[in-house]
Amino acid sequence: MDSNKKYWKGLEELNKTPEFVELNKNEFAEPIPIEDVLTGGGLGGRTPRRDFLKALGFGVGAVTLAACQKVPVHKSIPYLIKPEDVVPGVPNYYTSTYEGNAILVKTREGRPIKIEGNPNDLLSKGGVSAQAQASVLDLYDVNRLKNPLKDGADLSWNGVDDFVKAELAAIKASGKAIRIISSTISSPSTLAVIADFVAQFPTTKYINYDAVSYTGIIQANQNSFGKAVLPHYNFDKADVIVSFAADFLGTWISPEEFTRQYVQNRNSKSLQSKKMSRHIQFETGMSLTGSNADVRIPIKPSEEGPALIALYNAISGTTLPGTKKLSNTNAEKAIAIVSKELTAAKGKALVVAGSNDVATQVLVNAINSLLGSYGTTIDLDNPSHQYAGNDAEFVEFVNEMNRGEVGAVFFLNANPVYDYFKTQDVVNGLKKTRLKVSFANFSDETGSLCNVIAPASYYLESWGDNNALEGYYTIQQPAINPVYDTREAEHSFLVWSDNATKDYYSYVKNNWDKNLLAKGGLSGQSGWESLLQAGLIKVADKPAGSYTFSRDLNAVAQTILDHSNALTTDGGKFEVQLYQSVALRDGKRANNPWLQELPDPVSKVTWDNYAAMSPSDMKKLGYQEGDVVKVDANGYSIGLPILAQPGQTQGTISVAVGYGRTKVGPVGINVGKNAFPFFSLRNGTFQTSAVAVLTSTGENSPLAQTQTHHSIEGRNSIIKEATFTEYLKNPAAGSGKEGGDHKDYNENNLFWQKYDHPQYNWVMAIDLNACTGCGACVVACNAENNVPVVGKDEVRRRREMHWIRIDRYYSFNDNGEGGVTKETEIAKLEDLDHVKVVYQPMLCQHCEHAPCETVCPVLATVHSSEGLNHMAYNRCVGTRYCANNCPYKVRRFNWFNYWNDSRFDNYLNNEHTQLVLNPDVTTRFRGVMEKCSMCIQRIQAGKLKAKIEKRSLKDGDIKMACQQTCSANAIVFGNSNDPDSEVSKALRSERTYYVLEELNVQPGVGYQTKIRNISELEA
Amino acid sequence: MRSFSLIFKQFSRSVLLIAGFAFLGFSAYAQGDAAKGEALFKAKCTTCHKIESRLIGPALGPTVTEETDDKWLTHWVENNQALIAAKDPKALKIYNEYNQSGMTVFGELTDGDVANILAYVRTTWKTIQATPKVAAGGAQAADSGPSDLVIYALIGVIILAIIIILVLNKVIATLERLLSKNKDLVFEDEAVEAVTVDRLAGIKKLAKNKKFVFFTLLCGTVALCSWGWVTMWNTNVHQGYQPVQPIKFPHDLHAGAMKIDCQYCHSGAYKSKNASIPSLNVCMNCHKVVKTESPEIHKIYDALGYDPQTQKYDSTKARPIQWVRIHNLPDFAYFNHSQHVKVAGLKCQTCHGPVQTMKEVYQYSPLTMKWCIQCHKRTDVNTKGNAYYENMIAVHDLIKQGKPVTEAAMGGIECGKCHY
Repeated sequence: MDSNKKYWKGLEELNKTPEFVELNKNEFAEPIPIEDVLTGGGLGGRTPRRDFLKALGFGVGAVTLAACQKVPVHKSIPYLIKPEDVVPGVPNYYTSTYEGNAILVKTREGRPIKIEGNPNDLLSKGGVSAQAQASVLDLYDVNRLKNPLKDGADLSWNGVDDFVKAELAAIKASGKAIRIISSTISSPSTLAVIADFVAQFPTTKYINYDAVSYTGIIQANQNSFGKAVLPHYNFDKADVIVSFAADFLGTWISPEEFTRQYVQNRNSKSLQSKKMSRHIQFETGMSLTGSNADVRIPIKPSEEGPALIALYNAISGTTLPGTKKLSNTNAEKAIAIVSKELTAAKGKALVVAGSNDVATQVLVNAINSLLGSYGTTIDLDNPSHQYAGNDAEFVEFVNEMNRGEVGAVFFLNANPVYDYFKTQDVVNGLKKTRLKVSFANFSDETGSLCNVIAPASYYLESWGDNNALEGYYTIQQPAINPVYDTREAEHSFLVWSDNATKDYYSYVKNNWDKNLLAKGGLSGQSGWESLLQAGLIKVADKPAGSYTFSRDLNAVAQTILDHSNALTTDGGKFEVQLYQSVALRDGKRANNPWLQELPDPVSKVTWDNYAAMSPSDMKKLGYQEGDVVKVDANGYSIGLPILAQPGQTQGTISVAVGYGRTKVGPVGINVGKNAFPFFSLRNGTFQTSAVAVLTSTGENSPLAQTQTHHSIEGRNSIIKEATFTEYLKNPAAGSGKEGGDHKDYNENNLFWQKYDHPQYNWVMAIDLNACTGCGACVVACNAENNVPVVGKDEVRRRREMHWIRIDRYYSFNDNGEGGVTKETEIAKLEDLDHVKVVYQPMLCQHCEHAPCETVCPVLATVHSSEGLNHMAYNRCVGTRYCANNCPYKVRRFNWFNYWNDSRFDNYLNNEHTQLVLNPDVTTRFRGVMEKCSMCIQRIQAGKLKAKIEKRSLKDGDIKMACQQTCSANAIVFGNSNDPDSEVSKALRSERTYYVLEELNVQPGVGYQTKIRNISELEA
Repeated sequence: MRSFSLIFKQFSRSVLLIAGFAFLGFSAYAQGDAAKGEALFKAKCTTCHKIESRLIGPALGPTVTEETDDKWLTHWVENNQALIAAKDPKALKIYNEYNQSGMTVFGELTDGDVANILAYVRTTWKTIQATPKVAAGGAQAADSGPSDLVIYALIGVIILAIIIILVLNKVIATLERLLSKNKDLVFEDEAVEAVTVDRLAGIKKLAKNKKFVFFTLLCGTVALCSWGWVTMWNTNVHQGYQPVQPIKFPHDLHAGAMKIDCQYCHSGAYKSKNASIPSLNVCMNCHKVVKTESPEIHKIYDALGYDPQTQKYDSTKARPIQWVRIHNLPDFAYFNHSQHVKVAGLKCQTCHGPVQTMKEVYQYSPLTMKWCIQCHKRTDVNTKGNAYYENMIAVHDLIKQGKPVTEAAMGGIECGKCHY
């Protein structure tokens, strides 16, 4: 039975705007001017015979001359002395660490070309975030600083050292303060270096400054339990998760780790054991986490506090002073039900809040304490060291500077001139400071105001270590010599403080020898070597203690209410929620084109930030999507295009920070607007909400969205879903397999021949219930397959090149009519606040009956005996028939030579950045089609490895780039000829269905239905 | 032309080789134990000595021939340290001449062994001294083979001769006609014209012959088309490409005469997609001591920044050698050496031709897709002893039926196997 629930990709499709309907009639986004040629000026116009002959003659001559090009002589330059362990053509892997995650760096002939997860990584077990995947591209960024700068002029390292040492000596003599400002450092060796520096210069203070900080949580834990730590959350141990605006799958603390934990209770394995966690999200803008929640309640930022108070009251049975009835009736109802569920799941419940407000977090601690979460879902004894920012200390530092008390300041991986809300204070303070040193890779907003920029080597060029969680240590080793004349920031500190050990490698090694190796049961040189091989050590966890909250909450409740009242808006004003986008986060990697072009999971916008607004509000105020509004709050204003965001709370807008960099490379410069100045300080912590006045500017700036580039044409067999209750009754619910098996659409087949798969039949299974839609696979695919970046303008023209995309479908809440929203009722319904979201990774389906193959006039795309749909680029002449005939719209056409065209300066158009290319995959030329090849280079390499080792190919030997990077393990790949392979088992699942299977194209990629645990609350 | 000169070269080389062996055999017969000595010499002495020139130790040919005291020589070879310790003047002289670096003590050699070695060294030295005289004649010329210049000159002479003959014939014919037909000079011109007219008439008659015209046109078209066809198909096919390399590396010497395994230098062929050009440290394994005086070897030293006098490397002077790539596969074709060399067990020569006979390497195979596919269609896959193929049902069935398993049968001619 096909579901007739209505799904839609974007509001244009839902509302069937005339433009959308018109555009969808066309084969291509931009019409080909055939009509113009055939009518009017085309055929009617006269071309004189002589002109025609001239053009013809010139054409033939030019083509002939061009064809007469001499064959170029290729040079082959071997190593002079080959390093013993480098074999040209064979990749080497080195363990390293990226922001605390253990990773493997894949290098070819000494250049890192890809980041892969270390399967033993404690946090994400081999999953790698989009940022980590993209980080390899930054290594080759030609816009990085190539040498140290003093007052903007090039200087040698010796010159810098002499200058800084002399200055430091003078400042030490004067007794003025020295400050090291850094985003959280969780590296034990770096911390030791800084401690040594402080010992040498006792007026030094080291201050953690995180642009988006978690000070609220840390201080709340100090207040509640006397432990100033960021706890380690265990989402895998929670049966009921309630999140108040914490985007823990997207950006909150450790999203890769939380994704892995979260999915453990929702994936196939969990479902088979009839278990599925329940997740309720209260939030303002539609976040990645909110879109994955079983139930999502839109609330305003001002309602967050009162809602938490209400929840506390409901669970504890008490009434805090100042409690008021929520104006939001939906939230009121939801709180009542949620409190019952949480209480029922005592010991297996978890409440988290994204707020950085201490009072709010204290209240959350109180709730968690009532629920018995400490010692089970929250671990305070093995805390996380990923964030340790202290907002108040930084604010005090800015004041010190302005009072002229600071003699020297060092900015290590910190850029407060860009991301601190009172930029001018920092700028003024810096003017009063004698020595200002930045370790930035770019002459960035802060660095350009410093005396000295001592560019730190990139993490792939440096030694280092990390300690993301208590007892979990990872080592970072360089995979390449520094590309430019840079050196580790720690090295600079060692030199400037006249440390006995000047070389940071020796320092790290000594530090491990002395303090850390023993923790992993290792010692000496052999211990060091086995550490480098494993990449990590893990000390056994301390037992997680159970903590009870016993503080008085009256004052806390009052603070929360005050805060809420301050945010509450009267008519005409909007509450602004500031968030980190999943792709760019805090904007440190703004110069990375892979991340800029990674569509936001929910809005599918690339290369921009925007003001997300509820469609109802837009209708009320008469705004169209893309209209630029001036957002004015906290004495700062920016013009932002409006995005119609279903699910956005009415009366609010959401704006992403991390955009609007003004001093960075050409990729990130002036992309979007800087929203950090909307932050404010309240009770010693940065607040991420504000009250704004919106005024229309009359301009319109179309957003570069990828979501509405295709229409689903009213087909209902793309997404299939069921509720958990339905699943428990019949695991096949919703998949079309309810009757036992799928309908056979092949019975009347006269057309398609059958292919034999004598050896392998490569197929894929994707679990829609595991996929969170984060987009790490998209970037991993970019890196593995040399997928070009096209830029904002080309995305607007629908020419993005991604081989795998995450389709995001909206649907309405079930409204008690058997989960069906009839199309005729949509116009009346208009409840765009409550929408459901499904993510679906869409890539070439490698159909058995591939429609693209039959229409190719030159046989450039053909079927293989291993079940794959091959694409021979050198054969393709670019008719684009295949793309037109593909029901999944996964074929992408190369409109330009993106790697050699000055219009695409933001990506590969220089020899240096081209070093990141995977040499095993062809870079495609202008005018050819491309699409997912199912990482055929990996399949071939895996088979060859087995052949050389004289063994048969094992299941799991070959992993796709997208599969490998997925923290949720949503993608399984393998050989379906082997009945015991993981993928065969996954595809035998009752939940399996194939997208558009009624077309009888017999896709090679099977999806497993989305299951929603919505039974109780909906009742 | 190449194949002709190649065949000729090979032929002349084998003649020379046979002659050489015959000569050697003859002299060996005369000395009796030189053959045994050769084996010993190669095993024990060649690390430090050469017969004709100085290596680490002195050139043995002249030294041993001049020194006739076999007893002393035997003593020296078996235990030079004892002689030096005994302050033997001759021994001390050599010892000091060679920077007091002592020779290895060969206690395991019997007096007979040493005698054999000495015999070998002396006969060989005699042969070497005699060789230039013998080779001055045909053999040396044959070794280099007829040069291309000679061949072209010969062809030129022949063509010139034919032209001269034709012209002369024509002159004679005209003169004869003049003499026989016309005695009167007045009519001479007319007669000649008449003859010309007659000849043109013949051509005209032929031109009117439709069958002839059709046939000629057909032949012309076929010739032009086939020429076009062949040219088009061979566009960018560089079979025979033989660029000049920065170092005249003779594969015929290394792989041919010295029988060094290909993979000693091209070690990547076993484990990688690239067979890889050896890095210079591989060259230095031998050429630190072998042929140190050659200007070509000095190019290696220069590239490495190596000073043969001090035996020290100076990396600041190092600069890589830019070889000219001969086998250029297009970027969109993936080829993996280890797949073919390690898994399939193919000989390098299958694709690269008789490298062991090439003085300068050239592209032996066309490297066209047709050529690849032909081999994939015709060659049996070497499945024996490789467990990889055991679980492949289809392959198993073919083997059971006794049918050959080609790469094509395993999907080896599908686009995506090489193009991705």
